[in-house]
Amino acid sequence: MTPELTYRLCLTLSAVLFAVGVAGVLIRRNAIVIFMCIELMLNAANLAFVTFSRHLGVLNGQAVVFFVMAVAAAEVAVGLAIIVTVFRTRASVNVDELKLLRR
Amino acid sequence: MDYLTLLWLVPLVGMGVVLLAPKSFSRLISLVATGVTLLLSLMIWNAFDSSVAGHQLGVDVEWIPQFNIRYLVGVDGLSLALILLTAVIAIIGVVASWNIGAETHREGTEKAYFAMYLLLVSGMFGFFVALDLILFYLFFELTLLPMYFLIGVWGGPRREYAAIKFFLYTLFGSVFMLVAILALYFQSGAAGARTFSIPELAAMDLPVQIVNWLWFGFYLGFAIKVPVFPFHTWLPDAHVEAPTPISVILAGVLLKMGTYGLVRVNVQTLGNAGEHWWTFLAVMGVVNILYGSFCAMAQRDLKKLVAYSSVGHMGFVLLAIAARTPEGINGAIFQMVSHGLLSGMLFLVVGVIYVRAHHRYIVYPEDEAELEMYHIDQSKAGRLGFGGLATSMPVYTGVMTIAFFGSLGLPGMSGFIGEALSLMGAWRVYPTLTVLAAVGILVGAAYFLWTIQRMFLGEKNPEWAELPDINARELIALVPLAALVIILGVMPSLATDLSKASVHGLEVVQDMIAKFANL
Amino acid sequence: MTPLDNLSSLQHYIPDAALASFAVLIVIVDLFARGRSKVVVGVLSIAALAVAGALTLWMPHTGERLFYGMARQDGLAQTFKLVIVGCAAVTLLVSLRTQEVAERLRGEFFALMLFATYGMFLMVSASNLLIAYLGVELASISSYILAGFLANQSRSSEAAFKYVIYGSVASGVMLFGVSLLYGMAGTTDIALMGERLASAHPLALTIAVVFLFAGVGYKIASVPFHMWSPDVYEGSPLPVTAFLSVASKAAGFGLTLRIFRDGLGAEELLASVDWPLFLALLSAVTMTVGNLAAMGQKNVKRLLAYSSIAHGGYLLMGIAALGSSDSSAPTAAILFYLAVYLFMNLGAFFVVMHLAEPSRLGSEEMPAYRGLIRRSPALAIVMSVFLFSLIGLPPFAGFWGKLYLFKSVVDASLVEGGVNGHNFVWLVLLAMANSAISLYYYFAVVKAMLLDRGEEETPVKAHPAFALVLLILFLPTLLLGFFTNVDDFRVDEAPEASASIMAEE
Repeated sequence: MTPELTYRLCLTLSAVLFAVGVAGVLIRRNAIVIFMCIELMLNAANLAFVTFSRHLGVLNGQAVVFFVMAVAAAEVAVGLAIIVTVFRTRASVNVDELKLLRR
Repeated sequence: MDYLTLLWLVPLVGMGVVLLAPKSFSRLISLVATGVTLLLSLMIWNAFDSSVAGHQLGVDVEWIPQFNIRYLVGVDGLSLALILLTAVIAIIGVVASWNIGAETHREGTEKAYFAMYLLLVSGMFGFFVALDLILFYLFFELTLLPMYFLIGVWGGPRREYAAIKFFLYTLFGSVFMLVAILALYFQSGAAGARTFSIPELAAMDLPVQIVNWLWFGFYLGFAIKVPVFPFHTWLPDAHVEAPTPISVILAGVLLKMGTYGLVRVNVQTLGNAGEHWWTFLAVMGVVNILYGSFCAMAQRDLKKLVAYSSVGHMGFVLLAIAARTPEGINGAIFQMVSHGLLSGMLFLVVGVIYVRAHHRYIVYPEDEAELEMYHIDQSKAGRLGFGGLATSMPVYTGVMTIAFFGSLGLPGMSGFIGEALSLMGAWRVYPTLTVLAAVGILVGAAYFLWTIQRMFLGEKNPEWAELPDINARELIALVPLAALVIILGVMPSLATDLSKASVHGLEVVQDMIAKFANL
Repeated sequence: MTPLDNLSSLQHYIPDAALASFAVLIVIVDLFARGRSKVVVGVLSIAALAVAGALTLWMPHTGERLFYGMARQDGLAQTFKLVIVGCAAVTLLVSLRTQEVAERLRGEFFALMLFATYGMFLMVSASNLLIAYLGVELASISSYILAGFLANQSRSSEAAFKYVIYGSVASGVMLFGVSLLYGMAGTTDIALMGERLASAHPLALTIAVVFLFAGVGYKIASVPFHMWSPDVYEGSPLPVTAFLSVASKAAGFGLTLRIFRDGLGAEELLASVDWPLFLALLSAVTMTVGNLAAMGQKNVKRLLAYSSIAHGGYLLMGIAALGSSDSSAPTAAILFYLAVYLFMNLGAFFVVMHLAEPSRLGSEEMPAYRGLIRRSPALAIVMSVFLFSLIGLPPFAGFWGKLYLFKSVVDASLVEGGVNGHNFVWLVLLAMANSAISLYYYFAVVKAMLLDRGEEETPVKAHPAFALVLLILFLPTLLLGFFTNVDDFRVDEAPEASASIMAEE
């Protein structure tokens, strides 16, 4: 495989991952699954960063990925904690059942 | 500090003192504050040179330099008479408010009332001296909030509705005014330097096409304040609900802010607007005269009658302004002052009877809800409310007669001069409309005379036979106004001399003079 | 200006560093003070904000580029930081004695607030999209926890839940946008990126910019990323709501301003991505949606929440105007408006919060406000002034804020070429019409307080400490327009892109 082809394939994969992530957020109703989809979106961005970085021949894109991974971990930790508190009071993590606050 | 700044600052400081001082001193402080402003306005009158056209005693300080917003105040012939009027009405309003807590059944609220009152006075003075459009707009809006509360808190049974209606109507208009002010500002950049200063804008030659739009924007803002048909519907509601002194201020000064604005901005600054706009204004004036007069004739409530008569009388001012002849503008200013004094008197007179009888129906209403609101027996629906008051209240009848005859345009009183000057000024430009306007005078005479007949003459209604006559405090408020009405009726030059030079100095008036000289 | 290396950057970074160290310190102190009095933590937090605020105010901000061009200490950052730190300080003062947050948890509450503040500092001083992303995330993650701080209340945890979902999606989309921009420009430096993007494909560039805007758009609650805000504002503890509605919004605007002014403001870029038009349309929709939604609200807190969406719409107008040849005037107008907004909006929120305490009205619903003037004249009048100012009635500060903002947009539209070829006078007229709409619902509150008669007549007393805080907010709302004007908020010009090149080598 030529580097150019790899580059294109990786970018396409990244775009597909992102699209899957967005679709999942919009379609799925389980909070945990929604969070997994958000992770997909972040990792799609990571993949794009790495691909571009390699293609352009500079390293700063690779550095960004480390930061993003750390941030994503923090975000998920907080997100899951919040999901747990919701589950405690509601015994459900279905987003459609969160209707206490008026629309 | 200069006189003009003091003029709006003194009531504002007075408001602060009222808020800090004990409640029982509120009215005294207000009396002193308005007394000082009356003195100040007399000093301004003394210092004023009526032979000069431009504004005098001015102050011009940079305020927000990068937008060329300035603290620019000044007085000229167009505003001096109104400043004097405001000073007189303001102090009379305080006298009329002396027992406001008891009269409106809101004892203990005097402090808030007089604080709001003085804020309103400050706004009115500021509006008449401001010559920078942003300042002008600020003071225009400053009168809005206190008025809202004065009607909304101390008013009659439907006060909240009336207050909100007044507020929303006026604010709706002022939004258009603000847009027009900003547009004028940006437009002035093309014709020189960007400025909000009215004298500078007046000296500029702005393209007619844009002036036409701006003219209408300002017109909307001022027309609602005047009020011009079809924006007048807030006025009867506001007057009916407002306490007497506030009605006096509203009719005496606040309505004049609209017509003064038309003179100050639409005539002085946007005088080169298309002829169709001026004709439109004249037609609206005549519509006001006829509509107001006929509506007044149909009223059972004395206060509503007076309110609609205001709509009619302001029509003369509009017609005279639209003519743009020297007599016309002079007449408009004279009519503003005259109507300020007369409508002040009329509302005071209505207040006198209302305090005693707790209603003010010339003829009792037929509407059940209305009867109940004023605790009137169902069986009396449609019958005469008052009758033969002349025997039990002779002094009151005398004062009321002066007010009524002044308003219907009896020669020898200011109302006659105001209407005559206005019609004279309009005759050369709009002869047909002037004839129609004259019909309005006849209708006015009819309803005022009819009211006198029904209330003071004829059969005595035993229910109201024992009403006490007018008291000393009420007379103190009414007599100066009556005296001024007669003095101005006999010596109109007192007022017209003040405005003559400034009116002749207006660009558009000079155009009109030249136009008629060529004929 | 040459970017400074890490060591020489530190001396310019003292205010931010102080804030961050204090935040860490508070976590540690809180750990040892557990079970004992939490006063010391509160004092420390206030001290942290006071120190950070004072240092920010007095340190010269001359536009140094710190840490190899990652952040800028310039006038823009300084002004935004002052607004943010001011909001945080007032919020902290008020929450010192709020009953909403349990005594036991105050230390964590304050520490999280400081972390959020630090995140916002990062956002407004970022000159690199990586730092911007980190700032957004730090501010957001802290705010998620703050919103859900009342863990035993299902409203609060629901608010946090909605916030975390919307927030994570938005920042994920933003990050993807950043990665696309990086791919086209080969850098994440904002100024440098602008220079290198000129040759990029217009469609790809547009998509990337729209993605990028998702992240900041959610921070400023712009349509269509606004859905979280009424729910979060209603469910969160009130100090948090006030904090989010002002500081978070300010930080969002700080970052938006930097991205669009420094990064995407170049003429060649404007030709391929017409972001001024995009933002103008968003602004129009945002203010209208916010105002229309606020109209039907009977809960005062929720009403204020929707109205703050509308205010975000007004401010977006200023961002759209950045596309004109002179970006400094709209920038100053935005800063002035935010400063005014800080006082009037915080004031309104705090009055609502104070009245909601059980010993006072015990409710945020409009009917409870009836006849407040008879129960507490001072609170009713102060609240009315805040609301009048929010409407934009003269002579209150809100009027001047709107006047300057509207004027800057008209100015930008009228110069040769307009805003990227557009004339946004229609937008200003729409904003004015919207102000008139807002009159309706703000006035409903004023009417309930001042004109209606309530069932209860018992006097309501404001706490003296709270009255003092309120006075601090009230006086500027009343007088700011007379003592200062938009020109005092003029900050440095956009930096030259070429200065960033050093950062790459």
